[in-house]
Amino acid sequence: MMAQPARGQSPQALAGLRVVEVANDIGGEFAGLLLAQMGAEVVKLEPPEGSPTRRVGPFAKGREGPDTSLNFWFYNSNKRSVTADLAEPEGMAALAGLLADADIFVSTLQPAALKALGLDLHALSAAHPKLIVLSVTPFGLTGPWADYKSSDLVALAAGGPLNSCGYDDHSIPPIRPGGNQAHHTATSFAQIGVMLALLERQQTGRGQVLDVSMHESCAVNVELANPYWFYPRVNVQRQTCRHAQPSPTQSALFRCADGRYVYFALILAEPKAWNALVNWMDSKGMAVQLTDPAYSDVAYRQAHFHEVQELVECFFLIQDSHEAYHDGQAAGLPIGVLNAPEDLFDDEHLKARGFFVDVQHEGVGPVTYPGAIYRFSSFGEVERTPAPKLGEHTQEVLGKGARATEEVAP
Amino acid sequence: MQTTAARAQPALQGAPSRTPGVRQGPLAGVQVADFCWMGVGACATRLLADFGATVIRIEDRNRLDMPRRLPIYKGEARTYGEEDANPDPNKGGLFNNYNRNKLGVTINMRSPKGRALADRLIASSSVVTENFAPGVMERWGLTYERLQELSPEVIYARMSGFGHSGPHAEHRSYGPIVQAVCGLSYISGLPGEEPSGWGLSYMDNEAAFFNASALLTAIYHRNITGQGAEIDVSAVEAGINLLGPILLDVAVNGRSTRDGTFPTGNRLEHPDAAPHGVYPCTGEDRWIAIAVFDDAEWRALVSVMGNPAWAAEARFDTQAGRFANQDALDALVGAWTADKDRHQLMHELQAAGVAAGAVQTAEDTNDHDPQIASRGVFFEMDHPVIGEARFEGTPIQFSRTVQENWRSGPLLGEDNAHVFKGLLGLSEDEYEELVAEGAI
Repeated sequence: MMAQPARGQSPQALAGLRVVEVANDIGGEFAGLLLAQMGAEVVKLEPPEGSPTRRVGPFAKGREGPDTSLNFWFYNSNKRSVTADLAEPEGMAALAGLLADADIFVSTLQPAALKALGLDLHALSAAHPKLIVLSVTPFGLTGPWADYKSSDLVALAAGGPLNSCGYDDHSIPPIRPGGNQAHHTATSFAQIGVMLALLERQQTGRGQVLDVSMHESCAVNVELANPYWFYPRVNVQRQTCRHAQPSPTQSALFRCADGRYVYFALILAEPKAWNALVNWMDSKGMAVQLTDPAYSDVAYRQAHFHEVQELVECFFLIQDSHEAYHDGQAAGLPIGVLNAPEDLFDDEHLKARGFFVDVQHEGVGPVTYPGAIYRFSSFGEVERTPAPKLGEHTQEVLGKGARATEEVAP
Repeated sequence: MQTTAARAQPALQGAPSRTPGVRQGPLAGVQVADFCWMGVGACATRLLADFGATVIRIEDRNRLDMPRRLPIYKGEARTYGEEDANPDPNKGGLFNNYNRNKLGVTINMRSPKGRALADRLIASSSVVTENFAPGVMERWGLTYERLQELSPEVIYARMSGFGHSGPHAEHRSYGPIVQAVCGLSYISGLPGEEPSGWGLSYMDNEAAFFNASALLTAIYHRNITGQGAEIDVSAVEAGINLLGPILLDVAVNGRSTRDGTFPTGNRLEHPDAAPHGVYPCTGEDRWIAIAVFDDAEWRALVSVMGNPAWAAEARFDTQAGRFANQDALDALVGAWTADKDRHQLMHELQAAGVAAGAVQTAEDTNDHDPQIASRGVFFEMDHPVIGEARFEGTPIQFSRTVQENWRSGPLLGEDNAHVFKGLLGLSEDEYEELVAEGAI
């Protein structure tokens, strides 16, 4: 058994690294967060009115304002906030000052926005040979769509994941999987890119420009849809809450007595799994004819697939979903309960691993956040701290000459 | 200075030698004893192999890796449930996809000589990776403590569904189970309907990417401090980190997601974007996603629509009004898109400043997407059994780092002689003995 996470141990892997973040979307902010959690000092440079992500709800206790966006909180822990208007010479001077001794610059600006500000990421890289410039944009910095607008939904659509998600009923459009996953996918590659660039810099002393495209990140994050096109050259078809496939397969979502669902892919070909299922159903007096010796033959089972599926449906309909999850897993079957977010805080497994962390928010009290994505035995994450208030660190970071930011109404 | 992307060699690499040479890239010199299999592990160590690490995949001839067995073959369209009883292990496309740029060896871990050989391989490596069910590596005696004896300051990456501690550590898991348990499936779907969840093992890929990041972080840290590490990544915990702000809405505001109004399908709860949805186009099952976030974008959309009278109705005047009247708005927008071509419409809307994207298939992104073509994220390499095959590259253009695509996926045991005799220094006799005894 592995030790508990080495939270707060020193030194963190990225301790001492300085990051400047100019990010107006979740993908760039999440990339900054992952660096901050590994010990880098992240300065988030925002326009005077604040990052647009501060204006996106939900808001803590429903109170709208730049410092109460839960959307902002989620992606901006452990950062410092500095305000500067990049459209003004003094704002640009502030950025230049920060970049002078930065290791990593995170930017989400698309080519037209960069041009409007007079920023050239490759020139910046040439001027600061050790700097790692991480650009995370909707379509990348080059190509015919480089300045196209995007959003999480649009990126999932054009990149391909959306085509695999939705319902069996194809009169219903493909349905976006929740939680900003196009942005998260871009962040995953941004993080990999930065770590590769840091390793490269350890060897050569040289930084570089990393151009991460959310569109391409989605296009390589479709799992089987790509190999199904690479090899048999077929497109997969979406199905309700199970793998999109070249042709339809049986439902894997089962409704339980409490109205909740479990995911269980009924596989008839594996004798061990079949016997485990029948024994489990039998223990609840629900195996009916499945204990009949005829069913021990795979071909017979396959010929009576619909009958089996119906009996399994009935079986789950009288089980409590969590009980079914635990009993099924105890029987060695791959089965998962569809937890809602509120179910997770009481999960005995996550509790035993000390996963969730409480972060004190002024005026709100302790707020539960997800804990570390990865645990290392010899170093850890920094302790999670609240996202900064707008401009909270302007004076501290930019020095006495900096203008204090006025409170900006939402 | 505009630097050309140094990513990959996008064109087919002719017929390169399949003999391993000196690798290039930031991980050159790092040798990985890779016990990973299936999707998560293989996809994670692919990243290391792409960027210079010598990744040695250790396989079992008697228990073929699932991606070698799945019937994803050229010229045959089958669902992955319809596998061959006796598949050709070198024909599987999914294995090729996950294991490019790696070496492949076979070791029988049930044989004492096989296990001794694995120990030698670990001793010559500085990274060990695995994604078995917790307990499998321990049964072979391969605990972190033992690995440290074999290879001081080793990095030992453990990738699993639930992590290596806690009461559910040994739960059976694969992508859809992880997505269910972590909440990602539940938060996806139409309100009041069964969840639509995911049509792919998103968390297999995402867990792989986070595992790759964790490995790179540990290597970076070891380069500075000399310290190795054991890494424990639970895919469920990674998934919870991807739930997004809804988790804080529940934690801070006591939001119930079981009140019948959540999730909201393709509509957003925050911000009040509208129209924000997926609308029908010409052709069978063809769609376009359109997302309008403010008045300027709305005016642009109305203009592309040709200023229809309905768009001037008072209820659609403001963002709040449009958001409150989405049922009507979606029906009207959908009626307008229904006789349009999804790609043509996407470009017209984008030209006017509206975020829009055709719902693209893998065929579209691979063969008909000028943006992707211009950046070359997909590439081809030859394979002795499969022939020319396409691969998913890395969606990052590096101005300096090189992704060296030197070979397609290994044939089963293809590099046994190179690794056991060449790298580990076994004599011809020792090698032949292992073959004869079925240890490799």
